[in-house]
Amino acid sequence: MNFKRQFREGLLTKNPVTVQLLGMCSTLAITTSLFNGIGMGLAVTAILTCSNILIAALRNFIPSQIRIAAYITIIAGFVTVVDLLLKAFIPALSQSLGVFIPLIVVNCIILGRAEGFASKNTVLASAVDGICQGIGYTLALVIMCVIRELLGSGTFGGGLLNGGEGIRLIPSQFPAMQMVMPVGGFLTLGFVIAGSQWLMKHLDIKNKKKEAAK
Amino acid sequence: MKTETTAKYVLRLALTLLIITSVVAVALAGVNAITAPKIAQLNAEKTQQAIEAVLPGGFDTEITDFTDDTGLVSKVYAGENGYAFEVTPSGFDNTITMMVGVDLEGKVLGISIVSHTETSGLGAVAAASTAAGEAFRGQFVGKSGSVSVTKDGGDVDALTGATITSRAVCSGVNAALACAGNLG
Amino acid sequence: MEAIFGILISALLTQNFILVKFYGICPFMGVSKKIDTALGMGLAVTFVMALASAACYGINLILIALNLEYMQTVVFILAIASIVQVVEMFLKKSVPALYKALGVFLPLITTNCAVLGVVLVNVQQGYNFLLSTINGAAGGLGFTLAIVLFASIRERVNRSECPECFKGFPIALIAAGLLALSFMGFSGLSIF
Repeated sequence: MNFKRQFREGLLTKNPVTVQLLGMCSTLAITTSLFNGIGMGLAVTAILTCSNILIAALRNFIPSQIRIAAYITIIAGFVTVVDLLLKAFIPALSQSLGVFIPLIVVNCIILGRAEGFASKNTVLASAVDGICQGIGYTLALVIMCVIRELLGSGTFGGGLLNGGEGIRLIPSQFPAMQMVMPVGGFLTLGFVIAGSQWLMKHLDIKNKKKEAAK
Repeated sequence: MKTETTAKYVLRLALTLLIITSVVAVALAGVNAITAPKIAQLNAEKTQQAIEAVLPGGFDTEITDFTDDTGLVSKVYAGENGYAFEVTPSGFDNTITMMVGVDLEGKVLGISIVSHTETSGLGAVAAASTAAGEAFRGQFVGKSGSVSVTKDGGDVDALTGATITSRAVCSGVNAALACAGNLG
Repeated sequence: MEAIFGILISALLTQNFILVKFYGICPFMGVSKKIDTALGMGLAVTFVMALASAACYGINLILIALNLEYMQTVVFILAIASIVQVVEMFLKKSVPALYKALGVFLPLITTNCAVLGVVLVNVQQGYNFLLSTINGAAGGLGFTLAIVLFASIRERVNRSECPECFKGFPIALIAAGLLALSFMGFSGLSIF
């Protein structure tokens, strides 16, 4: 088990959004303000870590024929818990994310990591995997949010800073509101993935040069 | 494993699933028991606040026998200064739940949005407690008869990029005004 | 009648499940490389969405009667998973040709958030049995429309030149963005 490698993978080289292309529904739909992005990211991280731990703990008890049904039940349970807790304690976030909270159940990141990682690894490794992948997901969401919010509404930190209005960086008559509409979601994600591909290639070349120098 | 493809094995599968499902169900029942009163309380507070925001002096009674031709009015509260109507017009994405206060002369006292799922930064401004949101909602105060956005020939300035949300709010206000007319 | 027409128009065009509401993006990006597989996926999803909408309407009534609304998500997803399983077994036995054509896509439908999404929206909006089923079917047709259109665009996009780091998904996403932009033109129809 290698914590540093797992962290690096979650953040960049195997980022759930930009590389594995998982959970794109929520990535595109809710990334319109920083508050949404961070809230969704943390909710998914919490659910992913819990479900990873439980599934890793039960991996030897669940017969393989019914594993998907069992995983979905466990995940749906955690999602409902988070949904109820948010409704009771952070109603503003629950209101803002709406139906996309229950839809975390079918977010492929969680089932994907359950099937691809937690069902084959120890509890500890799965917990670390859940946290790292969750952070990677949150990072991607936050980047998307910052870009879309800045270009679409001209603000930074909407829902969080400056009493919920966000800090205005572009005068209100200029922003292209299409960026917070569906179009902006697709375009931004396209550019973010392209950016991460470029970055990885760049790092790859750098690493190779380093190795060659040795 | 190969020899286990019998009734016993099927039973084992069913039992495992049953156990997992029941554990999840019990856990959820526990969480729900903790959160349900809190959620109910939050909702009640929200309604209360919304009524107080649009109807100075609050309400005394809830009226159940109102006539509503639009199908948008869900609840009517009566106070000494007028009525508060809970209306549910359909917005851009989903239903908007809003409260409209109307005085005894049939003029809008104020509106407040209880819940919605409009686009953040566009339609959501209608509900926001920001300067833009206040200005939008302020336009309705004192209006009577029927209202519509400037695009439709009325005098309500629609929110930038959110004509549909603005229209929805207008239709909610109209429903409340019509219902108030029926109440006399 | 007006309500039914309104739901049809909105689910197909103005509130298209993929391009406006972002439900079911995973299969939209995953199985849109060829038009015929996209069409197969679309039709399978439409069928499951209509069936799931109808079934979950009944299930929701039971949940409300038992005061168990908080179990909605868990019960709905299990119902959807079972429906997909039943459909798969039924097709395998009675329509093997269709089963072969849909093969791999059938199990994937369970995790398509368009299916769970439409069921949750039906419940939220308080649609009755007929409207729920129609909303499910219309949402599925909207999904089919979007995925088939996108597949036909993508077949061309994949053959054209673009910067190295945009190859593959990024350029496909940008194409999807332009498709979504064109669907925004329908928003004027939402007077219904």
